Amino acid sequence: MKQKFFHNPFRMIISLALIFGSIGIASAASPIALPDPNRIRYKPLSFEPPRTQRLRLENGLVLYILPDKELPLVKIKVVVRTGSMYDPAGREGLAELTAIMMKTGGIAGMSGNAVDETLESMAATFDTTVNRDSGILSFSVLKKDLDRGFDLFSRILTQPSFEEMKLTLAKDLKLEELRRIIDDPQKLAFREFGRLMHEGSPRGRVTTSASIRSIQRDDLLLCHKLFYHPENVMISISGDIDIPEAKLLIERYLGGWSSSERRPETPPLPRQQDGGIYFLTKDVPQSIAIFGWLAPAKRDAQFYPFKVLDFIVGSGGFRSRIFQEIRTHLGLAYSTGSFYKAKGDYGLFGAYALTKSASTVKVVSRIEKILREIGQKPVSTEELEGAKKAILNSFIFSFTSAEKIASQQLMIEYEDLSEDYLLTYRPKIEKVNAADIRDAAIGLSPERAILLIVGNEDVYREVASIFGKVSRIEATF
Amino acid sequence: MRNNSSFLRLRRFRKLQFTPHAVLTTLGILFFLLLLLLPSPLFPYELAEKVQTFTLKNGIRLLVLERHLSPTVAIYIRYRAGAVDETDGKTGTAHLLEHMMFKGTRTIGTRNYAAEKKIMIRLERVGTALDREKAKGKAARSPLVARLTDQLTKLQKRQRRLILSNEIDRLYSENGAVGLNASTGQDLTTYQVSIPANRIELWARIEADRMVHPVFREFYTERDVVMEERRQRSESDPEGKLLESYLAAAFISHPYRRPILGWPSDMRYLDIAYMTKYFRDMHAPNNTVIAMVGDLQPSTALKIVEKYFSRIPAQKLASPPITEEPRQSGERRVEVIFDAEPQMILGYHKPPPPVFDDYLFDMIESILTKGRTSRLFKILVQEQGLAETIQASNGVPGSRYPNQFVIFATPRHPHTLGELEQAIDREIERLQREPISESELEKVKNQIRADFIRGLDSNAGLAGMLSYYEALLGDYRYLAEYTTTIDRITADDILQAARTYLTPENRTVATLTKKR
Repeated sequence: MKQKFFHNPFRMIISLALIFGSIGIASAASPIALPDPNRIRYKPLSFEPPRTQRLRLENGLVLYILPDKELPLVKIKVVVRTGSMYDPAGREGLAELTAIMMKTGGIAGMSGNAVDETLESMAATFDTTVNRDSGILSFSVLKKDLDRGFDLFSRILTQPSFEEMKLTLAKDLKLEELRRIIDDPQKLAFREFGRLMHEGSPRGRVTTSASIRSIQRDDLLLCHKLFYHPENVMISISGDIDIPEAKLLIERYLGGWSSSERRPETPPLPRQQDGGIYFLTKDVPQSIAIFGWLAPAKRDAQFYPFKVLDFIVGSGGFRSRIFQEIRTHLGLAYSTGSFYKAKGDYGLFGAYALTKSASTVKVVSRIEKILREIGQKPVSTEELEGAKKAILNSFIFSFTSAEKIASQQLMIEYEDLSEDYLLTYRPKIEKVNAADIRDAAIGLSPERAILLIVGNEDVYREVASIFGKVSRIEATF
Repeated sequence: MRNNSSFLRLRRFRKLQFTPHAVLTTLGILFFLLLLLLPSPLFPYELAEKVQTFTLKNGIRLLVLERHLSPTVAIYIRYRAGAVDETDGKTGTAHLLEHMMFKGTRTIGTRNYAAEKKIMIRLERVGTALDREKAKGKAARSPLVARLTDQLTKLQKRQRRLILSNEIDRLYSENGAVGLNASTGQDLTTYQVSIPANRIELWARIEADRMVHPVFREFYTERDVVMEERRQRSESDPEGKLLESYLAAAFISHPYRRPILGWPSDMRYLDIAYMTKYFRDMHAPNNTVIAMVGDLQPSTALKIVEKYFSRIPAQKLASPPITEEPRQSGERRVEVIFDAEPQMILGYHKPPPPVFDDYLFDMIESILTKGRTSRLFKILVQEQGLAETIQASNGVPGSRYPNQFVIFATPRHPHTLGELEQAIDREIERLQREPISESELEKVKNQIRADFIRGLDSNAGLAGMLSYYEALLGDYRYLAEYTTTIDRITADDILQAARTYLTPENRTVATLTKKR
């Protein structure tokens, strides 16, 4: 039914309705000849993104530089091959605390408070994020303070001192954050979902109050030594800076940076788990259901069909299948859809909905049905072409700032994608056909999914009676 | 993939967002940006020069700013209409309407509008009768409810065959649009999107059409969606719940006391008739601001906007009565019992922009909680370890009317809300006692200047700011003038503001404590 709307008979009806409608509303607004929105002609768009300069210093440090003089700002992003997956057992949270403490714990010859004062007096910003398999430090400084600011930033990067007092504070704040996770149903659900998806691997371990308490200053020093050195990081610089200027700056402040340390082995990639239904009890009026599967890596050929699949299933806006069914048609959720998170070496795919307790079982069943179908019936031409058009036409938004372009180039090397990744991205999407999508969907049966439901006791009883084998889990903090 | 990133991703799908929180966040950001225009007098001047403004005959105000980094354009439409303009008993209408504006028009989203219209007339009649019966609660006649429900379902099924559901979203998506979103605040309603620069005409085609002829199809299911939104943002979320109770206590008569999402009993029975009236009254071209920022020529932009929007007739603007908030004459305290760790909100009444005193609270906000060297962060979080987080925000929950300066705080175990409150009090007293030092004043101004520059980084950010001030205050150049005003602020001004407004009798305190 849905596929038919491009057919001519309907189009004729639409235009007739339009004429009719216009006459009918003449008193409210003068009639304007509204063109068919599907047939507006657009001039072609041509655009060549600016080229990013790649440099490699003698100590192995890789830089991507893209000048952009619009605003008097310089942005520096350091991507580090670190992450919670390297945290030693019993010391979960170490990689994150290390990054936080680099920011707050002082540097050789300067206290943490003095660093704060200096950074804020020049209105620089500095943020740290540590993910499961990477870390990112973002620094932004006004052009006029560039030299002073970068000097300080480079010392934060290379000589953090990890003051004991600040470590106590950072640990206390982390403990409070852990104490409060359970108050936020979404945070709680996604924490447990991530754990279940990586069960049995260091990637699946979560930070707890016990692991935070056991972390000592020496652990931070070692973590810094192992992960923060020229061959383990890449830096992008964008903004009001020339390439020679950037090179000079980096050589002056980071040219002497070296290390003989090598980071520990990367833990093996997650393996597809046996499917299972997991239930976490929380006394809330709205349940959260999340399905998850392993999915193609960015380096896989199936990455492209899977992108299109994800768009059609649940991430492509209101028309995508899950959204259309669960939200628009049934009115059973405000937040619902799918996500596909692909990295260089592996990917995750998930589908989710937040729905009132009484409709939990219904929503879960409908999502299961949608996922079963995507692997069984070929997608319609309209859906396929619509999804491809959307992905292709919005590609231009990957290039809306120098910072975006420079860090995108950096990530291509970081994730070890082919050099022509961006160039071939669009043609590869264009080539995707219905058969490719069905092939990509082969693993997506609901039986193979990790399904986590967070909900109240009544929901548990209903889920258990209808779906059979449900494992109850408890979150540890 | 970390929890956080999934969480954000999830949020991305909350396309039709609003919430007390989103509003707070949005306003926080706006004020933050507004603060930012600082002493560099050059830039605001340039901005004012570079923005081209046009007013159509029907009153639509158009602001255009050229920016050629990439061939894309960000467009904001803002109506000076929000939750404050609803009548009591119909709270949530503005927000539900914002959802309904995505349901298409007479020419978008339908296979046969004439046939649909006939069904919709009956649907509304049945829906209204059903609501009326259900509203009787226990006295509702269940056979009648069942019969009407059955009729409603059948009519919905029939209409569905004629609908191309979510067609507006499809048109935008397939043409490469990103950031398609809308938001409802107490003051304004906003529709925004970023689109490849060659496709502006599609935007004009869709928006001009839904500005006049939206069709409220799928009304009753969307009303259910909004109930789920409330469950998500308020009933399952301690912060949302606390803010709702806080505002209801801080304001006793002004509509800022009501949640934007609405009170549940109103939301359950919102009706098409009142929504249509609200739409007609408030969504007038002479109540509309459009801002376009990106790779486009102002003359081309104007031509397209004129082609599609100029024939919408201007109309007399309705001005629903807004009850004034009487002067507060004593502290108010409210408690929420919830299954969550404790937190608190504490705040004071104050005037809105462009009153001079409002600028002073932008400064006080930064002095108290901007950055790691701000007073409350340094003392409460770092030195005394009493707080986990602390954040001040000026301009809650809106800025068209006198509003609030608030402080959100979470204590760090085992410290209590009482200890936290006392510590905040000490810092408020200090603001009233000691003038702020020159160096601290200078630091805050520096931060503000830099953050302003950072705020200019995206087309969407710029379009958002320009349209916000134009719609709220009638002139985007408020931004340019802002800098000179901030420049004039002295330590004594801040001292006086603290003494005038930050008094116990002008204060409301809301605490959330754990269920025992």
